[in-house]
Amino acid sequence: MPSIDKKTIEHLAELARIKVRPEEEQRLLKDLENILKHFEELRELDIKNTGSVVNTTLAKNVFRDDGSYQNLDCVSTVQAFPDDENGFLKVPPVFE
Amino acid sequence: MLLQDLSLKKLKNALLNKEFSALELTKDYLKEIEERDKKLGSYLSLHKATAIEQAEKVDIAVAGGNDIPFLAGAPFAIKDNILIEGTRVTAASKILENYEASYDATVIKKLKEASAIFLGKTNLDEFAMGSSTENSAFQLTRNPQDPERVPGGSSGGSVAAVAANLALAGLGSDTGGSIRQPAAFCGVVGLRPTYGAVSRFGLIAMASSLDQIGPITKTVEDAAILFKEISGRDVFDATSVNSPGRGYGDELLNPKLENIQKLKIGLPKEYFELGLEKSVETAVNSAIDSLKSLKLEFREISLPHTKYALSCYYIIVPAEVSSNLARFDGIRYSRLTNLKFSNLKEIYLNQRGLGFGGESQRRILLGTFVLSAGYYDAYYRQAQKVRSLIRQDFENALREVDVILTPVTPTTAFKIGERIKDPLSMYMSDIFTIPSSIAGLPAVSIPVKNRGGQLPIGFQLIGNYFREADILGIGQFYENNT
Repeated sequence: MPSIDKKTIEHLAELARIKVRPEEEQRLLKDLENILKHFEELRELDIKNTGSVVNTTLAKNVFRDDGSYQNLDCVSTVQAFPDDENGFLKVPPVFE
Repeated sequence: MLLQDLSLKKLKNALLNKEFSALELTKDYLKEIEERDKKLGSYLSLHKATAIEQAEKVDIAVAGGNDIPFLAGAPFAIKDNILIEGTRVTAASKILENYEASYDATVIKKLKEASAIFLGKTNLDEFAMGSSTENSAFQLTRNPQDPERVPGGSSGGSVAAVAANLALAGLGSDTGGSIRQPAAFCGVVGLRPTYGAVSRFGLIAMASSLDQIGPITKTVEDAAILFKEISGRDVFDATSVNSPGRGYGDELLNPKLENIQKLKIGLPKEYFELGLEKSVETAVNSAIDSLKSLKLEFREISLPHTKYALSCYYIIVPAEVSSNLARFDGIRYSRLTNLKFSNLKEIYLNQRGLGFGGESQRRILLGTFVLSAGYYDAYYRQAQKVRSLIRQDFENALREVDVILTPVTPTTAFKIGERIKDPLSMYMSDIFTIPSSIAGLPAVSIPVKNRGGQLPIGFQLIGNYFREADILGIGQFYENNT
């Protein structure tokens, strides 16, 4: 089983953009360790030649006509934005 | 008619015969909710004004001598991860606390066309992750049969509402058992449709290759009626399909005993070896005996990869969750307003850190882990292969039998607080519902009858792809003849 430690949690939290509170870190680490331990039984299965499930639906090649459609009513979509200006979602600057 | 005696089936005639009006019915339910839901905690928000408006429209149609749809005037409880335009939808999470839906889910559109009534939105585990509804960021929901116990999850709110007669029917969502398990814990019927049978458009996505919206009802007959209304291909959901063959026609709503008796039922030995509470074993056996007396044939079958299903599921689901929940950045849909950061990354870290609850964070991080470089092959790829082995198990078995019968849960409803501190023990309550989800097969939880005052227990019927008619057909005969 891969060893995971505080640094792993910090790395994952950074990737997932979630600030984990320091008091939560220990608990999270323990929970993840227990869950990963449980997964070991899966890793032991010798299934190198098994195919993966690629498609979970009967649908194949779902296409629509190449045209432009108005799906969402812009007014209500914009109304749902927490902060908007001239019909655009207002976001903080990406570049500093 | 008393609310507890009412069903979707009886409703239309009752309205047309003027036994009561749609408005009276809706007001009765709203009154019951006001009197009893404070203790139960099933509703997160009520839609009183629109419910009354919808009911009045039904009464005008009845008064005009017009025919009305089957679900006209039926008061529904809708799980709060299904969008109803112009109303709050939270997924029971702080990160969506102030979000208002800008469109209707397809299932909601269909119910509106059928003149159904929406009483309100019900409680769930945050983002549908959990088996007890204790992961809701807002409130606790209690089991109507015993307030010290959980209703199950994640559709605990809508199940509790139907079980307590605070709605005539409900909609929930089921990824690994989130309709079936609470239905078993509370003594109502819960159907998880074939993957692709019901559109997911307007369902807040959790695990896109597994999620399905499904009916929660008091009877199997009602589940068939409701399923027929909400199923069907939707251009807005590319994974939805129409049922191949004859579609959901007469055999769904009017099953015939002589056809049902031709169905062979498989009992997978692995499910009965997995550590059942004695009361569950006894109850499920009584259901089997009852079906045997209806001359249904049983066979022992094997689903050899059953024990790997839990691990397989808890790798694939967090992986999909980490992807689906990436959109909740505290910028687009709703914001925690007491936070002020000027730097974009800080906004993400803090909005998500404070907006997501423990289980959501746990699954996002676990998903991030199994998808990350160096671990992807060992975990995620491996789980996808195991997934195809589990599907093959079912496909092989369904060549020998038509339907598979199993318990729904290993225990009856556990006590509030009992499992919330140990995620693995919580995950274990889904061991019987997860495998059929992985395979994408339809499955229904049916309450075992004649339990007296004891805690409810359900038995599960798993059908072949798009054979809801088989499992609901057997269910209806069980219901009417036990």
